Amino acid sequence: MSRLRLAGADGLQPMPGGLLDGLELALQARALSLHYAERRVLDQISLSVPRRRITALIGPSGCGKSSLLRCFNRLNDEIADCRMDGEVQVLGVDAYAADVSVPDLRRRVGMVFQKPNPFPQSVGENVAFGLRLAGLRSRLELDDRVETALRAAGLWDEVRDRLDDSALRLSAGQQQRLVIARALAVEPEVLLMDEPASMLDPISTLRLEELMVALRERYSVLLVTHNMQQAARVADYTAYMQDGRVLEFDTTDRIFTNPRLRGTEDYITGKL
Amino acid sequence: MLRTGTRHAPRRRGDSGLWLAAGAVALSLAALIALLFVLLQQSARPFLPAAVAELRWQGAAGPQQALAAIVREDADELIARASEWQRRGGAYLRIARADLLERTFPPDALALRLADGRELYLRGDAHALAALPSAAGLALPGMPAELPLRRGELVEILAPNQLGPGGRLRVATQRAWAFVSGSPGGDSGSAGLLPALVGTVVLVLLMSVLVMPLGVLVALWLHEYAGRGALAQLLRAAVANLAGVPSVIYGLFGLVLFVHGLGAGLDALFHADALPSPTWGTGGLLWSALTLALLTLPVVVIAVEEGLARVPAGLRQGALALGATRAEMLWRVVLPVARPALLTALILAVARAAGEVAPLMLVGAVKYAPALPLDGEFPYLHLSKQFMHLGHSVYDLALTGADAQRDLGEAHAAALLLLIVVVALNAAAIVVRNRLRERSRELSA
Ligand SMILES: Nc1ncnc2c1ncn2[C@@H]1O[C@H](COP(=O)(O)OP(=O)(O)OP(=O)(O)O)[C@@H](O)[C@H]1O
Ligand SMILES: [Mg+2]
Repeated sequence: MSRLRLAGADGLQPMPGGLLDGLELALQARALSLHYAERRVLDQISLSVPRRRITALIGPSGCGKSSLLRCFNRLNDEIADCRMDGEVQVLGVDAYAADVSVPDLRRRVGMVFQKPNPFPQSVGENVAFGLRLAGLRSRLELDDRVETALRAAGLWDEVRDRLDDSALRLSAGQQQRLVIARALAVEPEVLLMDEPASMLDPISTLRLEELMVALRERYSVLLVTHNMQQAARVADYTAYMQDGRVLEFDTTDRIFTNPRLRGTEDYITGKL
Repeated sequence: MLRTGTRHAPRRRGDSGLWLAAGAVALSLAALIALLFVLLQQSARPFLPAAVAELRWQGAAGPQQALAAIVREDADELIARASEWQRRGGAYLRIARADLLERTFPPDALALRLADGRELYLRGDAHALAALPSAAGLALPGMPAELPLRRGELVEILAPNQLGPGGRLRVATQRAWAFVSGSPGGDSGSAGLLPALVGTVVLVLLMSVLVMPLGVLVALWLHEYAGRGALAQLLRAAVANLAGVPSVIYGLFGLVLFVHGLGAGLDALFHADALPSPTWGTGGLLWSALTLALLTLPVVVIAVEEGLARVPAGLRQGALALGATRAEMLWRVVLPVARPALLTALILAVARAAGEVAPLMLVGAVKYAPALPLDGEFPYLHLSKQFMHLGHSVYDLALTGADAQRDLGEAHAAALLLLIVVVALNAAAIVVRNRLRERSRELSA
């Protein structure tokens, strides 16, 4: 049983070459393949995401980054004819085991989507959404946690007087930070961020990057980005994906200064 | 920059499309206005006081004379209604123009209406007549001695020839209001639409309460849970086809399933002491509402499913990613976003149900029900009782009324009222939906 071996006491560091030696793993995929109907979009992927680090996932559009992210919080389960093979571990536990509670898993693995998707509710209710789901009822505590999350997302000062306004009236950048606050409010351990800065202006992007660096203290982040500078600035590790495969995984420094593969270098330098 | 030689002329196609569309809109508007006009005109007829004429004409057995209300006049004949001494309706005079010797409108001509709906035409002093105590016998020239009448039996005393247009309109309004707000007196022949109006509204509301939860649940199951399994496909095909089944078939189905099946069963269980007279085992409000709910279920399911399909996938994923179960996601995000679609479904259901008569005649609508389905007596809403319905009233007044000439007018009045009820119910739902739309637009602004 390979799953047992992977989950073994010290089994959380299977990366070859000792790259992640001594680091606990937040997420781990082994021989992961994904099909939409008959079309394969992920092909035998193996990837380890260390805890309390930022790992960037880069690669050309359509190479399967979002699909891979959705494997970690089992959001692909909701897609009708999507089939996954292989293994996924989240914090050392098989995410696809029969006894796993999917809602619990998703509370531990938060997600920020490529397009901001605030609910058509008030700003406050958006942030409280996950907390209410988790059964939190006390008004006082809800308010408190909402404020904490909004502060963490760097949005509090802008919306402190607008908590009862519709979330959809916020600007795109504010909406993006709102959905980050919404994800942070339930205090996940891992955060999957799918191009969170794609709708942001440079200043908001900078703030978001500061936020991510701050989050690193407590969260493990897997960040999809098309912005090479961003990856270079915030990520500790970077994985390069192409055509449904992870072709290269290394420290960000090495990926950007001395990539092993020609394809990675071409992509980073914009020759692809 | 590329510049090619020819610039395209603006397209004309859009224009002809615009004209077509405008034409279609104008046509439907014209049809609607014509319908309303006919209904209004026809339903005004029984309520407008007719002029009462002293007629002399050449009958088969020599000259004849009568005081009668003019019903219709055209180039070659004149139709008038004579006093209904014996029974309601039927006392019509049909006089060819050529035979008419004289026609005068005496100012002291009276039109008297009795409680049972009969009308009498006499000459006399309206004020003096009105001032009589109710026990006083009437003594007017021309009254047959063998049919004595008392003042108290008269519900309306008019001198129609003295009325100006304003007076006629006032009388018509009063009569129309009395007709709409009155109750029919069973066999006595007096008419009134209130019970039918209440019955129709209560029925439609009850139907809505029954069909909406059921329809939404079915749509949720089909759209969110069923996937593409054989059972779901079967159900989908069934729903799509059920929308086209003629309504009378639903009536028959309701009769068998609800009245004879469920109703008889309930009677045997809970009302055995009252048998053989049925409590639930006969047509009634609940069975009718259930039948209509079945009838409108496909419409609701289809409309709600469409609404669910329009909820952005991002919202669903957002909710799920926060740890919502599927039910929580549906309840907290999808359904609230789809609320305008639910109201659209309701509007479609009401529009379909409010005009249905055929199935109701099988499962509970009757010509005459002694009590309102909704009243101040416990349990307030009488689910097992038979009820009256405007659609049924139209049918009934048009075909089986005592006086076809007059009652066709009353049938039109009932039809007009039915139309108003349907439009009002729809308008209410549309107002609510637009409010919701505005709110969700505000939210999505
Ligand atoms: N729900 C789905 N059903 C079918 N095919 C899908 C679905 N989602 C994604 N795909 C396909 O899978 C492939 C990978 O898509 P994915 O969204 O994971 O790419 P990506 O790397 O995130 O691209 P981008 O950088 O543009 O966001 C694409 O070819 C896409 O068309
Ligand atoms: Mg993507």
